Amino acid sequence: MDPLNAPYPRYSDAEPFTESYSSTILKMFVETLARWRDVQTLDLGPVCQENIMFFAKRVRRHYVCDMFLRLQREQDKKSGRGDAFRHLDYPPGSFDGIQLWEFTDHLDDHQAKRLVKRCFDMLRSTGLLMLIALEKKPSPDIIKTLVIGRDHLLDVREQPHLKLPWYCRHNRSLLSLLADFDIVRSFRYRNGLREFLFKKPGLVRD
Amino acid sequence: MLGKPKKPENEAPFTAGKTMEEQKPAPSASAAPSAAPASPAPQPRPVPPSNEEKTTIGQQISIEGRIRGEEHLVIEGSMKGNVQMEKHNFTVGANGRVEGEVRAQNVSISGQLKGTITAVGKVEVTKEADFYGDIKAKSISVEDGAYFKGSIELSREPHRKSAFAEAAGGPLSSEAPKAAFSQPDAAKKEP
Repeated sequence: MDPLNAPYPRYSDAEPFTESYSSTILKMFVETLARWRDVQTLDLGPVCQENIMFFAKRVRRHYVCDMFLRLQREQDKKSGRGDAFRHLDYPPGSFDGIQLWEFTDHLDDHQAKRLVKRCFDMLRSTGLLMLIALEKKPSPDIIKTLVIGRDHLLDVREQPHLKLPWYCRHNRSLLSLLADFDIVRSFRYRNGLREFLFKKPGLVRD
Repeated sequence: MLGKPKKPENEAPFTAGKTMEEQKPAPSASAAPSAAPASPAPQPRPVPPSNEEKTTIGQQISIEGRIRGEEHLVIEGSMKGNVQMEKHNFTVGANGRVEGEVRAQNVSISGQLKGTITAVGKVEVTKEADFYGDIKAKSISVEDGAYFKGSIELSREPHRKSAFAEAAGGPLSSEAPKAAFSQPDAAKKEP
C-alpha cells in the first residue's frame, strides 16, 4: 500500500488512541482515593461497563453522568441547542475524584471553562481531577472510550454513535484552563496522549 | 401475581397481569410475547413452575400505584410507583417507562427508568435504555451507548473490606470521615 494513502501515518507514535497503554495517572488516582474513607467519584463518560465496575468495586458510591452523549444530544437538536451542563447539578463538595477522561477535547474554550468551574465546585477540598488530552485530532476522528483493564492498562473501544467536534489543546492552554487547580503530575506518552492529575487546593479533605 | 394471593397450580390462572394483556394465553418463557398462533389446537398446557411465570404490562397500559409480586414482571407500558419483588426479575422493555422505586432479584432496563433500583442480583442496562437514578446491586452491566445518569453502589458482604482498602494493604486514612459523606441523600442530589 502506498504509505501516503495509508490510513495512519508511518510513525507508530504519531496517532493517539491506536493502542493500549499503562496509565500512571490512573494508578495514582486510585491509590490516592484508596487512602480515604467513604469515597464518592464521578465519571463523565462515555458509559463503559469495565470502568463502572472498576470504580464501583473500589468506592462507596460511584456516579456516572455520560456527558459525551448529553453533549451529542444537545448538538443534534434541531430546535435550538440546550445546555448539556445542566445535567451536572450535583451539590458543591460532592466528590473525591472526577474522571474527566478526554472530554475537554470536545469542548470549545467557553464550554471547557464552564466544565472546569463545575468540576472545581463539585470536588471536595483536596479532591482529584483526572484528565487525558490528545495532542491532535486523530484520523479517523472516531471517539473512543478508554477502557480500564488489568494493572491500570487503558485499552480503547470505538464509540461510533458519538460524533463530537474536536478542540485539542496545547499544554499551555490546558494548564491555563485548569489554573484554579494544583497540578499533581502530568505525563506524555509516545502514543500522543497526555495525562494530567489535578488537585483541588486545600490542606485537608473536608 | 401482582399482589394477589397465589392460586393453586392446577387452577386456571387469572391474574391481573394477564388481564392487562387482554386475556391472551400466557406465553411460555421462551415464546415471543406477541407470537400467538392463529388457531391453537386445544392441548393441555403444562403449568410452568411458579418462579418461571411472567406478567407483561402491555404498551397501551398505564399503571399508577404499588406492585408487589411473586412472578417476573415486564413493563412495556408506563408505570409510576414502587415495585417490590425481591425474589423475581423486573424488566423495563424497550417501550417501557417507569418512575419509582424498584426492588427485585434482577433488573433489566431497555426503556426509560427514573428512580432507584435495589437488586439482590444484577442490574442490566442496555444501550437503548434511558436511566436516571440510583442503583444498588450485587453487580451491574451497562452497554456502551446507554443514556445513563446515576449512582452505583455495589452490595458488599458485611465485615469485608472494600477493594480499595484491600488493595492499599494498609490502614485507611487517619482523616475522620466527615458528616457530609454520611448523608448520602444530601450528596445524591437527583432532583
